[in-house]
Amino acid sequence: MVDSPPRDAPDSPPFMQRMFDNVFLLLVLGIVVMLVVYTGWGMWEVLTMPAGTLP
Amino acid sequence: MSAATFPHRVCPATGRVIASAAEPLIKVNAVVAVVSLLIGAVAALLLVLTRWQAVHLLPAEWYYRILGVHGMNMLIFFIIYFEMAVLWFAGTILLNSRPANPKLGWFSFALMIIGTGLVQWAQWAGKADVLFTSYPPLKAHPLFYLGIILFAVGALTVTGLFFASLVIAKREKTYEGSVPLVVYGAVTAAIIAVITLLHGAIIYIPTFLWSVGLIKSVDPQVYRLIWWGLGHSSQQINVAAMVAVWYMLSALTIGGVVLNEKVSRSAFVLYVLFISMASAHHLLVDPGFGPAWKIVNTSYFMYMAVLASMIHGFTVPAGMELGMRLRGFTDGLFGWLRRAPWGDPGFSALVFSVVVFGFVGGITGVTIGTEQINIIAHNTMRIPGHFHATVVSGTAMAFMGATYYLLPLVFQRKVAFWGLAKAQPYLFAIGMLLLSMGMTFAGSFGVPRRHWDISFSQALFDVQFNPAVDITLAVMGIGGILAVIGALSFIAIAVKSVFFGEKITTWETGKPILGIPQGLTNPPVHAPNVDEINDALHADSRGIAGATPGTLVLVGVFLLAFVVYYFTNWKLLSFLWKVG
Repeated sequence: MVDSPPRDAPDSPPFMQRMFDNVFLLLVLGIVVMLVVYTGWGMWEVLTMPAGTLP
Repeated sequence: MSAATFPHRVCPATGRVIASAAEPLIKVNAVVAVVSLLIGAVAALLLVLTRWQAVHLLPAEWYYRILGVHGMNMLIFFIIYFEMAVLWFAGTILLNSRPANPKLGWFSFALMIIGTGLVQWAQWAGKADVLFTSYPPLKAHPLFYLGIILFAVGALTVTGLFFASLVIAKREKTYEGSVPLVVYGAVTAAIIAVITLLHGAIIYIPTFLWSVGLIKSVDPQVYRLIWWGLGHSSQQINVAAMVAVWYMLSALTIGGVVLNEKVSRSAFVLYVLFISMASAHHLLVDPGFGPAWKIVNTSYFMYMAVLASMIHGFTVPAGMELGMRLRGFTDGLFGWLRRAPWGDPGFSALVFSVVVFGFVGGITGVTIGTEQINIIAHNTMRIPGHFHATVVSGTAMAFMGATYYLLPLVFQRKVAFWGLAKAQPYLFAIGMLLLSMGMTFAGSFGVPRRHWDISFSQALFDVQFNPAVDITLAVMGIGGILAVIGALSFIAIAVKSVFFGEKITTWETGKPILGIPQGLTNPPVHAPNVDEINDALHADSRGIAGATPGTLVLVGVFLLAFVVYYFTNWKLLSFLWKVG
């Protein structure tokens, strides 16, 4: 069995490159940011809006 | 000799492994995309001849019906089928790999086709006169919503298969290090596609249930919020795919280089994180959302995505300039541009796509997306003026340019009507530029979008527009006719090439061949003294001009145009603001 090189080995890609290469991390981050900032916050604004009353 | 263990062929021009299972999936998606483009283009001609008030072709009922047909075919079917082709292409050929589960890929394609058929039937039969946005309480036939859901499920599955293909390529070590930049752009498009399609599912499933009577109502404000997570984000898939195609065409046509991988990839990550929030632009005058939500979504966070577009808007032309200079075209500021292959439809389409997307689509988009300025632009023709410059002049133009290279590389056919193909990007770009400018200026005079008759001939009240509107609408009409001729020319070229074109599996390089773009017959190579040129370009003595002085001048012009347009709009807003 061959050990994988330590993550901070000189020949391993830098941290940011490993992060950018992690497609599934980006996928999760993309969905979460949108769902929180746009969708979730927007839904909260609509659903907490007091109902209008007819005169 | 390829080491690939799956059925494949090797591209004679690029040496890439083309998996036999992926090739037909790329082809069918591209063919259906072109069919959708044909339907959308015919609809566009009818619409432009109706909005051109002097012609006013269609009756009201058919105007709104055809507007819906145009929106679905252009913004959803044409673009997303082509993007599915891009995902199959990027996930396999660009990684010398094989597709994940092609049988499921065919099933997904079948779902998309069934969904497309249902939507087309509902719209043409007059069962879904609800426009592209289908805002409740407007209600369409249930099969319209079901069709969109089936299409979205199929597209989402293909996106999942793209991610699975990436895993296969990594596991089977068909590439080393990070995925190529073009594939990274496709990854970005795929992530945005997931965000988009999730929002589509969240809103269209309850709307379908409402249409069959299983639930009582759909809240219009909630619908608008979630629907725009689909409606606008779907156009951000285009942006990411388009930028990926820019990098690809730049390399293929003139040997463009990537200036800095870190910078370009960071820009793509900014798209992943922030670009989908542009959806909030459509809700800037909605009373249901507070200013904090609007400003955070459309300004603070969204500007990170604008920054990303401006980064690509610099790195793509700068990479083209550096690539040309390394090939020996070093004279003056713009010698690299003068000596570029302007007769190559892949190259001219690339340049027009970058320029019109940036100068017209980008500048107008950021300006009218500002909360305060939006009040003078909302629901006017400035909005379609903006997005025709981005989605059509930008994305569709780039996809057309890519097609001229995919025809020989993937379809193994010469490009038919070669003379027409060389002229087509010019015709389409000029037409679309006139159309976008005509719409934008008409909108600046207050002409509403999505309106059958701006003379208000049967209305109880009188509305008069500035007479200049007649000129701007005529410019729009003439531009639209030119653009439709350009689009139909592209369709004729693509159909003739694919179904009746001359078969070509290999070709000699070093001499021009009619029907094959010069980037394939005469692949760009560096000059013999490339190291010497490179050292000279990066010498300290060049100062701030650096290795790409021509591009610096061009982006300076862009920034100047941006500043002038942006602040002119604040001035226009001040004319309307009578308080104080």
